[in-house]
This record gives sequence, C-alpha cells and structure tokens, in this order.
Amino acid sequence: MRKLVVAASLFFLLFYSLPLLASAVDAEQQRITLSLATEPPSLDSALATDQISSFLLAHLMEGLVQYGPDGNLVPGIARRWEVREDGATFWLREGATWSDGKPVTAEQFVYAWRRALDPATASQYAFILFPVKNAEAVNRGDSSPEQLGVRAANPYKLEVSFDKPCPYFAKLTAFMTFYPARQDVVERWGRAYAADADKMIFNGPFLLKRWVHGARLTLEKNPRYWNQAAIKLQEIDLPYITSDPSTHYNLYKDNRIALSPLDSSTLSDALARGYETHLFDFGTLFFLEFNHRDDRATRNLALRRAIQSVLNPSLLVYKVLGLPGIKPAYSLFPSSMRAGEGVFSEQYPPPRIDYDIEQAQRYLAQAKQELGTIPPLTLLVGDSPRAVNEAEFYQYVLKQSLGLETRLDQQTFKQRISKMRRGEFDIAAAGWGPDFDDPITFGDLFASWNENNRGRFIHAGYDAAVRQAQQSLDPEVRLQAFDRMQHIISDEVVIIPTYENVGLYVQHPRLAGVRRSIFGGDPNFRYAWVEP
Amino acid sequence: MSYLATDFEPLPPQAPEAAETLTPSPPLWRLLLGDVRACIAAVTVVAMLLLAAAGPWVWPQSPGTQWLSQVSVGPSGARTVDVVPDDPWQGPDRAVDSLTALQATTTAVKLAWPSLPTAVSYRVYRNKGGVGLGMPLTETPNTHYADHLQLSEQTYRYSVVPVKVDGTTGEPLWIEVNPRLTLGEFEAKLLGLVPENGQVSLPAHPLGTDALGRDMLSRILHGARTSMLVGLTAPLLFITLGAFYGALAGLLGGWVDNVLMRFADFVVALPFLLFMILFRVALGIESGESGLFPMVLAMVLLSWPSAARLVRGQVLQLRESAFVMSARLAGASNFYLIRRHLLPNVLPLLLVSLSFAIPQAIFTEALLSFIGMGVVPPTPSWGTLCNDGIRSMLTHPHELVIPALAISATVLAFNVLGDALRDAMDVKVRRGVR
Repeated sequence: MRKLVVAASLFFLLFYSLPLLASAVDAEQQRITLSLATEPPSLDSALATDQISSFLLAHLMEGLVQYGPDGNLVPGIARRWEVREDGATFWLREGATWSDGKPVTAEQFVYAWRRALDPATASQYAFILFPVKNAEAVNRGDSSPEQLGVRAANPYKLEVSFDKPCPYFAKLTAFMTFYPARQDVVERWGRAYAADADKMIFNGPFLLKRWVHGARLTLEKNPRYWNQAAIKLQEIDLPYITSDPSTHYNLYKDNRIALSPLDSSTLSDALARGYETHLFDFGTLFFLEFNHRDDRATRNLALRRAIQSVLNPSLLVYKVLGLPGIKPAYSLFPSSMRAGEGVFSEQYPPPRIDYDIEQAQRYLAQAKQELGTIPPLTLLVGDSPRAVNEAEFYQYVLKQSLGLETRLDQQTFKQRISKMRRGEFDIAAAGWGPDFDDPITFGDLFASWNENNRGRFIHAGYDAAVRQAQQSLDPEVRLQAFDRMQHIISDEVVIIPTYENVGLYVQHPRLAGVRRSIFGGDPNFRYAWVEP
Repeated sequence: MSYLATDFEPLPPQAPEAAETLTPSPPLWRLLLGDVRACIAAVTVVAMLLLAAAGPWVWPQSPGTQWLSQVSVGPSGARTVDVVPDDPWQGPDRAVDSLTALQATTTAVKLAWPSLPTAVSYRVYRNKGGVGLGMPLTETPNTHYADHLQLSEQTYRYSVVPVKVDGTTGEPLWIEVNPRLTLGEFEAKLLGLVPENGQVSLPAHPLGTDALGRDMLSRILHGARTSMLVGLTAPLLFITLGAFYGALAGLLGGWVDNVLMRFADFVVALPFLLFMILFRVALGIESGESGLFPMVLAMVLLSWPSAARLVRGQVLQLRESAFVMSARLAGASNFYLIRRHLLPNVLPLLLVSLSFAIPQAIFTEALLSFIGMGVVPPTPSWGTLCNDGIRSMLTHPHELVIPALAISATVLAFNVLGDALRDAMDVKVRRGVR
C-alpha cells in the first residue's frame, strides 16, 4: 500500500511538474528554451572546433571585437583598434570584468593565445593565430611561448606584431580561439578546465548556470557583463540534446523549443501547417574537387574543361536539390561574401561559363588524344540522401553528354575526408564553410601549401595571388587578387563550384532579434528578446 | 506341426474386385490446375519472368534517363512541349502596376511587381494551396524575381511581402500562377532532343517518375532483370550443388557420408554477410563497382547444405526401399538406379525447395542492394528502387509503393506456388484432403 502511495505521488509529481518544464518562450521571465544537436565536446576556447561550442562560447565569452546586429565588426572588450602593416594595437575598455568581478586585462589575451599555440595544448585551430609573429615556430615547439609577437603594453593595451601584413586581423580576433583566458582558473582545474559549469569563468553576456552532461545546459544572464544593459534575455535553457532533426521539429511543434532547423521532409510538414519558415544563408560553398595528382586522368585540363562545360549548376539546384534558398554557385567565393566596401561578387562578378555540349565534346576528343583512353572516373561522395541524388545526377550528365563512365564511391564524412587526404578519388564532392569574414578563408584553400588542398593543385600564379591577398593592405589590390583567383579556378578548372547551401528553420513568432550569422556563433541571442 | 498336401496347392484365382485398386497418381500439372491459388501464382510467376526477359523491349525507355523537368510526377501521357531559353533574367522591360507573372512555365515563373515607396526589400513566398505564405523563396531589393525551383504543373500562390527599413513587414501582394510544362534549352540538348518549330515531344510515363525524373516503369522492368537474375541463378546453382552433394553422401553412406555431412554442418555455421563482404574484398571489388557477383558466389557457396540434407535423407530412405533392393537384385547399374528410381523421387522435393529458395534470394538481393552492397547506381534493382523511394516516401509514396509491390507480388507468388507443389506431391496430405 505504501508503495502504491509513493508511486501515485511520484506520478502526480511528474505529471504536474511537466508543464513547469518550460514552454518555448516566456515573456515575463524573458526566458527561452532551445535544443542542441550534440553536447559540446569542450567549452575550452583554445580547443573548441565545432559549431555547438562556437554557439555556446559566443554567448559565454567576449573577444576583442565582435559581430554586431547587422554583421559588421563592433567593439567588444577592445573599445578601439588599429591594424598596421607590421602589427596591430587594441585598446581595452576598463569596465569589462569576469563573472567573479576581476577585470579583463590584456595579459589574459596574451596568456590565452600562447596557450592555444602551445604544442601541449594541441589546439586544432592553432593555425588561425599564425599571422601573429613567431606563432608557427611556437606551435611547432621551436620557439618558447614568450617569443610570440603579442604583449601587454599595460593592462589595457594589447600590442600584436606580425611576420607579414595581415589586413583582416581584426576580423580574426572575433573568432573563439582568440578569446581571453584566466591563468589562475585554467591552472586550478588543469585537464578538467571548462569541462563543467563550475570549472570555468565567463566574460560574456551569459554565464553557464548548469551543465548536466549529456542532458542539459542552462545559460543565465551575466550581471557583471560590461554591456549587460543591452542584454534582454534572462535565461536560455537547453534541456534537449538530440541529433535527430525530426525530434527538434517535433519539440518545436509541441511548443517546447523556440527554434528548430528544417530538412526537406520536415519542411513540407511545416508548410502544410502554415508555419512561417525562414531562410538563412550559411555562406557555405559546395563544389566538385578534381584530383590533380600525376596518376589521375583528371590532371588533364581538356578533360576537366569538358566536364565543366556540361555540369550546369542551375540544373542541379533547381531540378535535383529542390530546396528553397540554395543558389547555384559559379565562383570560389560565395555570392554573399563581403570584401572591401560591399559584396565581392557585385564588384567582381564570377567568370562566365558557357554550358555547351558540343564544345564539351570537342574538349573530350582533345583529352582522349592526349590521354589515350579515359578510365572510369571515381566520384567520391557523401552518404546522405541528398548527396546520393546529387551524385547520380553528375553520373547521368557525364554519361549522357560525354559518354564518360563514373563510379560512385559513397562514404561517411570521416571516411570521405581521409580518402580525399590520401588522394583516392578522381572527383570528390566537397564543401567549405568560412572561418572569418574575408574571402581569403576560401582563397587560400587551393594554395599549394594548404593542407586542405586535397586535389594537390599547384599553380605559381595562384600562389602569388594568395600571397598578395594575404599581405597587401590596399583593399583594391586585394580585390583584384581575389578576382585573379576566381578566374584561375575557372580557367584551370581547379574545382567546379556547384551550390551555396542555406539553412531553413522555424522560429517562435514571439521571439525577436535573433541574429543568424555565418561568423561569431550561430544562432546569436545576444540581442534577442521575447515579445509579450 | 504337420502339413497337408492341400496346403501346397495354388490358390484359386481371386476375383479382381476383391483386390485393392491402385490407380497411378494424376500428373502434377493436373493437380495444380485444380488449385485456383496455385494457378494465379503460376501465372504471376510466368508473367514476372516474361516481364523481366522481354519487358525492356516492349517498353524501350532507358531506366537511366533523367527527365529533370518531370521530377516525381504521377502517371502521365506523351506530351509535346515548348523549349524555352534559359538565360538569366535581368528584369521586365516595362513597369507593371500590380504583381504580374510575365512568364509562367515550369522552366521559370517570372514575377514583377510595382515598387512600394516604404519598402527596402521584398520577400517572395510560394504556396501550393496550403495555409500561410508557404515556402520562402528569396529576399530581394529588386522588384522582380524568376522562380525556377522544381516547378510542376499545378496552381501556385506567390506572395510578395514588402519589408520596411525597421524590419517590419507590410501587406503581401499575391497572385495565382499555373505554369505550363516546358523544357529549358540546355536540358533539351542534354536529352538529345532536337526541337521542331521550337517544340519537342516527351514520352509517356505510365507509372510516373522518381525523384530524379527517371521513368518508373522502365526502372521496374530493368530492376526485375537484376532481381530475377540473382533470384534464379543463385538458387538453381546452390540447389544443384546441394543435390549432387547430398546424393553422393546418401548413396555412398558410411564414413564418407559422415565426413560429408559434418562438412555441411560446418558450412551452415558460416555467416552469409561476412562472407559476402570477404568475397568482395578478395575479388578486389571497390565501392562503386557492382557487388552482384560476390553476392551470388556467397549465396551459392553458403546455401547448399539445406538442399544437400534434404536429398541425402531422401536418398538414404530410397536406398533401403524394396523396389531399389529388387532392382539391385535384378542387376541394375548405379546409373540406372539413379535415373530410374532416385531422381524421379527426389526431383519433386527439389522443385519445392527451389520455389522457396527463389523468393528468399530475391529478398536477399533486395536487402543487400537496399543497404548498398548489391548493384550500384545507375543500375536499378527492386531493392535500390525501394531505397530511393524511401527518401521521398512522405511526399511521393508511389516511388516506394510500386517496387515494394513488385517484390511482394513476386515473392508471394513463388511461395504460394511452392506450397501448392508441396501439397500436390505430399501423398499423405492429398489423401487427407480428398
């Protein structure tokens, strides 16, 4: 009998506490509930690499500069900065404090950058600090961390020196690897640093109130944030962690979360229910990468040109992929990429490619003369339904227009990357998302020294253009260098750009001010609020 | 005990009516003919075999051709459609005073609308007749937009929502558009269609098309070839192999039988999937190459023991039976024994197990192609068709239902036929029934 009573009271407790488990938004408390795809592997800004960590850190931490509501750089901890040919100076605001009340100083940035470059830290994003003088040597372990070209001139003035000019350095400092760190906290927790809510410290608009591993994270407004008056949300609760996209959508339908991504199957349901759906441009480029190694048929330019002349991205995007917002791509630089005073593609439009089957057949005849016979080409693709559809489209077009045989090699993401690295492909379907808001994040991909140049494309003219874009301080010279790059990519058919991806999502109608951003953590709730 | 002389006299001839009349069993086909289910099943099986063999000639469309302007359509007839240029649109040459569709084709729906003084940009939505604004297409500062996104022949409601400087939105403009089917120039060229008077003819798709615009009927027919090829070859081979093995064991008997059957037990324990993958690796088949051969090889090398056991048991029984004894005593050779007595008695059994093995093999092929271990794109098989169909199950169920029906019907027909054959040949069941 007592057991029954206990069970009954437990049941009622559970039953009646469920509604308390939060609805999607609460205007009175300015509190929202969201879901996560996975738990962040680490919230240590030196080690974080993934999307989820970047999203959380963008709310918990503040770098020297940050991206404002309209996507421009705005002051963060630095109230003003100056980038010169030989270095940069950041003047830090004096009112910024950590969540324990201690001030944020230049010394903490120096410590964080040295730590990220320390070979013992093994940060995968260490390379992003390489514009700083001696960074590469420090990362290899050849120089001591003290040799790194960054110093605190006084507690509120950070001096950075460069090996080579780096015109886009300010944009880099918004990236999470550049966030400051507190030596006392890092050393107190050692390997456990940033593995739990109480083992880290924050200087951003929110603090991590709770982290139940594998189950729940809760962010609470940080009252000691320097700009706390601008933050309206009091709490961001993340009680659901699941990688299944339809679960997120179902939670949204049940009014449990305020934002959910959509895929092609949930999109049709959302439309049928009359939900307002939104588009968000990720700025991600998808492309077909050729293998330029000597033992591959694809090293032949005429063959690559033949393939380029028949793979019409608009046919792929509009007929095969069929998701709204996805744009056919014609250049290495996505059409929304900013450079100089505006959008790059408007100042330097992508090179025009004529989709002409007869011309392609002439190229193919030339390729056959140069190569003898052309063996079946291996097309390395992903294993998602969309990737397979896409691959069957390429296979059909090449067969139908040029009579080229292709073999589809469908692999999981990890497997595909490792096969690309080993060069086991002729053509590979790849994608690249930008790390920071400058075209060089795409441009240096095909520099001969870049590890991510998986097709081993080597071209002196291209390398020269990349160096120029990396080092010149003159915006016009840089733009022209980028234009040269996109023309070399197209003329030499280094890759065939296929499409620019977008995200589709539904958002609670009373949640306002959410910024979807390619850079600096997405989605961004710093300036969000719940309308009554 | 003593005997009288009369005890050794022959019996008087008995009246014929006193003897039990033993009629020979009617031929198999006549027994089957009496069973309606079996007849339907047999007809289905023959029809499926015929379709697989002759279908691609009767319906000569290529299963690989992608009719990209007719993606995921239902059954449709042959059409003559216009070919339209697919140059990018720079906007209308004249101003419009309301939301207007300047072109309404499945290649492009070109919309233009008047400029609104307070608007800084416009959001364009498209709805297929549900509630709300529908699918967001773009946000543009221009007053025109060309929609190309997977248009089909149906009514769309386009809404243009003006967005003001402060981010608020105004009253939407809307228009209903019924695009007519056209082909883009590049697509027509890719299909090898030469326009006459600006028009080309498109073939009919009696079962509709799949998510890449490929003709479903032709894919089902070509898929039947793959499925039947595996479904017939593998069972024929492994049952023949098993029959010989079992007959050998049964006839020779003794320690040979013992060794042979223990080996068969060993083979039974080998995992099929693992061996198929091993064969793939051993034969150097990389991902992207057809895995049909290792699949059939693994089936043949691993599935024979059941047939071997069946035949061995039967042979053991027959070997000891009186009529075989008497044939032996009469000096019949082994060959005669096999031909005259063993084979006719074992064959019906083999037929039954064959009719059960075939659907199983079809299923295995479908399953393995479904998980990507069988045929590779673009070769269709019923399994890969189902796999493709699952991706669009919610929106276009026919792409999954049709191949699934083909598999189910064929497998069911073979099973029913097998059942009927077994019943017809099982003397005990037959006596019980009649």
